[in-house]
Amino acid sequence: MRNLLNFYLRYSAWFVFAFYVVVSCMLLVKKNPYQHHVYMTSAGAVAAGVYDVSSNITGYINLRDINEDLQRRNATLESEVIELRHRNRMLRQAILQDSLSRVDSLGQFAFIVASVINNSVIHPYNYITVDKGRCEGLEPEMGVMDQNGVVGVVNVVSDHHARIISLLNPNFRLSCKLRGNDAFGSLVWDGKKPTEALLEELPKQVKFHKGDTIITSGYSAMFPEGIPVGVIMESARGEDDNFHTLRIRLLTDFSTLSTVKIISNRDIVDIRNAETDRNAEADRNS
Amino acid sequence: MTKVILRFTLLFVLLVLCQVVVFNHICLFGVAIPLVFIYFIIKLPVTLGVNKVMTLAFLLGLTIDVFSNTQGMNALACTLLSVCRMPVLKLYLPRQDDLTNPEPSLRTLAPAVFMKYAVTLVTLYCAFFFIIEAFTFFDFMKLLLRIVCSSALTFVIILAFDGFTSRSR
Repeated sequence: MRNLLNFYLRYSAWFVFAFYVVVSCMLLVKKNPYQHHVYMTSAGAVAAGVYDVSSNITGYINLRDINEDLQRRNATLESEVIELRHRNRMLRQAILQDSLSRVDSLGQFAFIVASVINNSVIHPYNYITVDKGRCEGLEPEMGVMDQNGVVGVVNVVSDHHARIISLLNPNFRLSCKLRGNDAFGSLVWDGKKPTEALLEELPKQVKFHKGDTIITSGYSAMFPEGIPVGVIMESARGEDDNFHTLRIRLLTDFSTLSTVKIISNRDIVDIRNAETDRNAEADRNS
Repeated sequence: MTKVILRFTLLFVLLVLCQVVVFNHICLFGVAIPLVFIYFIIKLPVTLGVNKVMTLAFLLGLTIDVFSNTQGMNALACTLLSVCRMPVLKLYLPRQDDLTNPEPSLRTLAPAVFMKYAVTLVTLYCAFFFIIEAFTFFDFMKLLLRIVCSSALTFVIILAFDGFTSRSR
């Protein structure tokens, strides 16, 4: 017994070393980011507090660029409003003629505005921390966008903070399609540049041009259809037999992110219930 | 003794804050990332037991991980580094009694010895960190470039930091 104790004492350094290596490896290989505990992420109280303070100080730096983006976005929206108003008038006249009512599909989405308090673009797996949380209505798996395009998806939520999986993170795949064409593919970051990503699994027969816009497909409940994501730069790497892979220039500038909008889908509970019901049924049948 | 503990606690907090608020957002030419917080491990007294050094290094890595969302990467690299610390120092300083003060710094060691010691540890750390990171995207040239550039940048900042803290005392 005493020898055993001596043995342990003499080689205690190896045991301590092995223990720490095992603990950190366990943290490292836990692949699914949705399983992370809130205190192990930047949405935890202490980490988020520090980032709150530092973003209060640095939050003013990029305001000029953001203002320009907003002005531009505002201008396009303005012209869209004029066009829609015009179309609305025409539709109203048409409705008078046949009294079918239209379903307002965008009504199901609401936006929550939040400030980015921490952000990274240099790691292989990037995350963003924002200053809104469960108390403001955020839930995991809500979509996030800014004034230019898609940003990511909410992943860990504490009371007043949340961590977002950035689009610059290979854990996040986004279902996208070409504007004016219903062919869809899946967008994923390849870890190279924070301004570019790949659109994969686009069917071969689809015709596309350099400069075409990529938008969200609306197939998942996170994002409504039609949010701009990026612009086609070129056809990338290996010509697969049945699919195109395109290199996309992202519209969102991740390095100067400051204010984002979280998209809350009012129907998401219904959709999720429906999906779990269906899964349960499938389980029962199998 | 209490004074030493207090000073190292302060150093820990200061380095973590500097790293997460300032240095985590720096990325020169898309390759060089300063990993300045390991100055804490370089600076720990050589008289401290290896178990305590490992524990402190692990906690430091874990704290950085929590802040920068890199689950376990820094914790693992820090633990590995803390084990390499004494062998590296013995390599450059065969006789321990040359030390006037147990804390390695530019003042207490000969400048050349301290620089060699710091360069080796910084390079080792950058190698550990980027190799762990590279399990996800493997691109050998880019990995090498990142290790070399990040080590150089980190070393320069740590030297400046060391000059600053030793003079103020």
